[in-house]
Amino acid sequence: MGNRERESGQRRRRTAVKRFTISMQRKLVVLFLLVLLAFVGLGARLIMINRDQGQAYSMKVLSQQAYDNVTIPFKRGQILDAKGTVLADSVLVYNVIVDAYQVLDDEAYLEPTLNELQRLGIDRDAMERYIREQPASRYYIAMKNLTYQKRKEYLERIEEGIRDENDRKVPQEERYFSNVRGIWFEPGYTRTYPQNELACDVIGFANTNNVGMTGLEQYYNDILNGVQGRQYGYLDESLNIDWTTHDAKDGCTLQLTLDANIQSIVQKHLKAYNDRYANAVRKGGNGAYDVGCIVMDVNTGSIKAMAGYPFFNLNDPYNTDILVGSPVLDDTDQPTKKVLTQKDIDAMDDQEKARYLNALWTNYCISVPYEPGSTGKLYTVAAGLESGKISEDEEFYCPGFKEVDGVRIACHNTHRFLDLAHAVERSCNVYLMNIVEEIGKETYCDFRSTFNIGLKTGIDLAGEARTDSLLIPEETMSRVDLATNSFGQNYNVTMIQMAAGLSSLINGGYYYQPHVVDRIYSADGAVVKKVEPKVIKRTISEATSAKMREYCEMVVMTGLGTGGTARPYGYSIGGKTGTAETLPRGNEEYVVSFYGFAPVDDPQVAVYVVINRANQKRQGNHSLPCNIVREIMQEVLPYMNIYMDQPVTEEEREVLEQKGLEITYQED
Amino acid sequence: MADSGKIRTFPKDPYGGQKAENTNKARTGGLRARLLRALRRQPADGSQFRDYSLLFIILFLLGFGLVMLYSTSSYSAIVDYGDSAFYFRKQLIFTLMGLGLMVFVSFIPYRWYRVLSVPAYLAAAGLIFLIIPFGNEGGGAKRWLEIFGMNLQPAEVAKVAVIMLTATIIEREGRKELASTAGLLKPLIPSAIMAVMIWQITDNLSSAIIVLAITMGMLFVACPDYKRFVVMAGAVVVSAFLLVSYIVNAADRSTMEFRGRRILAWLDPIAYEDISYQTVQALYAIGSGGFLGKGLGQSMQKMIVPEAQNDMIFSIICEELGLFGAIGIMFMFILLIWRFMAIANNAEDMYGAMLVVGVISHIAVQVVLNISVVTNTMPNTGVTLPFFSYGGSSIFFLMAEIGIVLSVSRGIRFRKTEDG
Repeated sequence: MGNRERESGQRRRRTAVKRFTISMQRKLVVLFLLVLLAFVGLGARLIMINRDQGQAYSMKVLSQQAYDNVTIPFKRGQILDAKGTVLADSVLVYNVIVDAYQVLDDEAYLEPTLNELQRLGIDRDAMERYIREQPASRYYIAMKNLTYQKRKEYLERIEEGIRDENDRKVPQEERYFSNVRGIWFEPGYTRTYPQNELACDVIGFANTNNVGMTGLEQYYNDILNGVQGRQYGYLDESLNIDWTTHDAKDGCTLQLTLDANIQSIVQKHLKAYNDRYANAVRKGGNGAYDVGCIVMDVNTGSIKAMAGYPFFNLNDPYNTDILVGSPVLDDTDQPTKKVLTQKDIDAMDDQEKARYLNALWTNYCISVPYEPGSTGKLYTVAAGLESGKISEDEEFYCPGFKEVDGVRIACHNTHRFLDLAHAVERSCNVYLMNIVEEIGKETYCDFRSTFNIGLKTGIDLAGEARTDSLLIPEETMSRVDLATNSFGQNYNVTMIQMAAGLSSLINGGYYYQPHVVDRIYSADGAVVKKVEPKVIKRTISEATSAKMREYCEMVVMTGLGTGGTARPYGYSIGGKTGTAETLPRGNEEYVVSFYGFAPVDDPQVAVYVVINRANQKRQGNHSLPCNIVREIMQEVLPYMNIYMDQPVTEEEREVLEQKGLEITYQED
Repeated sequence: MADSGKIRTFPKDPYGGQKAENTNKARTGGLRARLLRALRRQPADGSQFRDYSLLFIILFLLGFGLVMLYSTSSYSAIVDYGDSAFYFRKQLIFTLMGLGLMVFVSFIPYRWYRVLSVPAYLAAAGLIFLIIPFGNEGGGAKRWLEIFGMNLQPAEVAKVAVIMLTATIIEREGRKELASTAGLLKPLIPSAIMAVMIWQITDNLSSAIIVLAITMGMLFVACPDYKRFVVMAGAVVVSAFLLVSYIVNAADRSTMEFRGRRILAWLDPIAYEDISYQTVQALYAIGSGGFLGKGLGQSMQKMIVPEAQNDMIFSIICEELGLFGAIGIMFMFILLIWRFMAIANNAEDMYGAMLVVGVISHIAVQVVLNISVVTNTMPNTGVTLPFFSYGGSSIFFLMAEIGIVLSVSRGIRFRKTEDG
């Protein structure tokens, strides 16, 4: 029994079942062998790939390993004025990056993502076209400079939306917010200048790569810039990406000696001058080729304000509209009488535009040389007194000219007999020529270098010019040269040279290095550097300086001097006018200037204004700069808590009241 | 395997010489009676054939497949879902479900499929038609149906149904009928219809080719001759060659449709990297593996090869385990097919054997096509690697097919040798 019987019982029920025949079994073995053959072939192929391409493909694999390496931007330091007003700032902004590949990963992502991109202010149609055309793109900068606030709003919206969808258990296919995919934000900083054109020449501007182009931005570029941070991702032994972050180091902040209030007073009056005289003779032209103004603390050399008209907007430095009314430049970049019109600008190519923009960005106060004219007489007088070769009692006769080596050099008037004080007061050329005749060219040239004429002052601004090549060297200086030099012609200076040098004559003889930056703060607010006033040299003695102040006071205060119009109501100030004929001589073209300081007996602040070729028939009218200095001082002196020391007449009181200025006598 | 020497499988011809007196009853009996008969078939005396080596191979491939899937998919899982085990966990669930299904199917008497094959075929066709209105899109083609929150690929159902139906038709046909052209076409037509449907409706050319290949494999075994198959194989090779040379010589390559450009990309993958990016990256992975590979989990290319856990998983295996691991896996597949062959050759009846041949064809074709694609031996077309590639439907129905094979092996019994 048992097996056999049971088997036979089963067999009986299954007789019609077909068998898997020997021939089929044989063919199955053939099929198996065919599969085996295919496997062997594929195995051989694998071996061949490894043998022939192994090296090359291994290299490929390694070269494709793009370990993430993300740079973290630093924040460029701020620029603050003396009172902490922000003049230049770096604001956190974001680039909006679109990952088209990810957006297209699921058709459901496209709509919500495009909606949100549109909400961020990106052109929806253009974006959709890009995503469709570049489906493999993983990095596309869809938008630049998205504000921090906008990004924050976006992130909050999405986050809140997803949370809400989670709470309501919205099914995946109906979800909106979690289907917003492939939008990334890349942080960066953008430079902004909240005060627009205020102190544009001094601050300068930085381009998008954090490179300062002019002014402080250029001079202090390395200090303002920080160090980029970096995030490295590398694969560890178990091939996990390991992140290492080196934080960015933000740049230092500059605090200036420059005061935004004084600066805006200055710019207001330069603009007022321009508005008044623009279009006067040269139709369509500005009030002058250039008008520059420096306000300086005479006892520290710190710059309180510095401006050159025309101004440009630091947030939009490439705007050429402001160029209308400027002089047309000749091939050597020198201004000409022709006036630039909008039509001319439209016709310019980029190179030409760059030439004019460069001229616009140039800081007139430190970069443009000019002949100082009569303000230079103060140097000659100081040299004469300090060298002891002349006395203030010495009188000379001015017949209206002086012949030097057969050359007749004119004075602007016939002053007859004058002593030194009155020679300065009236600005007599003949007297000055007599002084240099007495002191000789060696002494003159020694003092010239003492006063730093022609050399850089070392002010902390980019683009300061040296003008020593425009001085006549001692060896080749003729008597005529010396005579003309005595009253400020035939040599070139920059405004900052004059401001620093003249200030040393009236502050007791201390030549301070002019500077704009007062303090440098590190990113975490610690003072890295405090700039102390730096006396470069003693130019003259205290006694000589006192005399200089006295003469300068006469120029303004006697009513007979050339600078009478510069007197602000209620104040006694000193100063010196300058009227220099430009080359070529005889063209009736002048650079007029006025250097004024107050209070006259204890100078604290100097205001120096230069007008390069006023838009006037009589360009030599030195009351033009005097008026500007007066207007500036009238506002700046009370602001600096310098009290009036002169009686104010009823008329003057009315004018002051009209201007909204207080009468400020020092209370005893 | 080791035990094949000790045992003699029996019987090769268990029903030989038996009368057919109960055949009609067997055919006409009710479902209940059939089930009882099926269960009674289980011998209680230990002569039941249990192929432990096959079980080992299956479990090894499943376990190894899961390990490699985790290794390959962990990177993209963490990138896309923030969870390195995302794909692994889903695959594990399907694998466990598939194991359950395998055990369940192994208890179903396989002869039922002779009856069930037609409904199964119609059901598979119906599912494919359901894709037209209800299909889920993925990777640019509608291939999935969502059932109870799970994605089902009707093409996988169709493969199983075609195996059943083809086995049924072949069994019903006589040996002589199979030798005729009409007899050859009879089983071929339903599978060709199914293949066209899969191709046209689900835009899944590779599954269509696999369905046809399965049928051809079964017919090859069933038919007594070689000639017709040699001719057919020759015709396929020649027409493929002609097609490729036509495409290569076509005047304007830019306007060529996608499949044509795929052929060009196959011939020169580096030049058409926009199309063959996946293939090129897979080749880099294979080439950089070397003999012993970079080690488990050490692949660099898994971060780059698109969809590495799907069709291209073999390239990552090559990179991590090297030629050694890759050829080892191919060896495991050969062992699996060999065990299947043993079951087919010892099957109780021809129907069971043909079912096993169908499963052999299916697995063999998919493995060969997959490795061919990965090694750029043939143009890129999406074929998954059984046991390894990520995909619920394919592992699920693969396990069902193995269940069928086990069901067939259940019918095999030992006969103790005279002295044993």
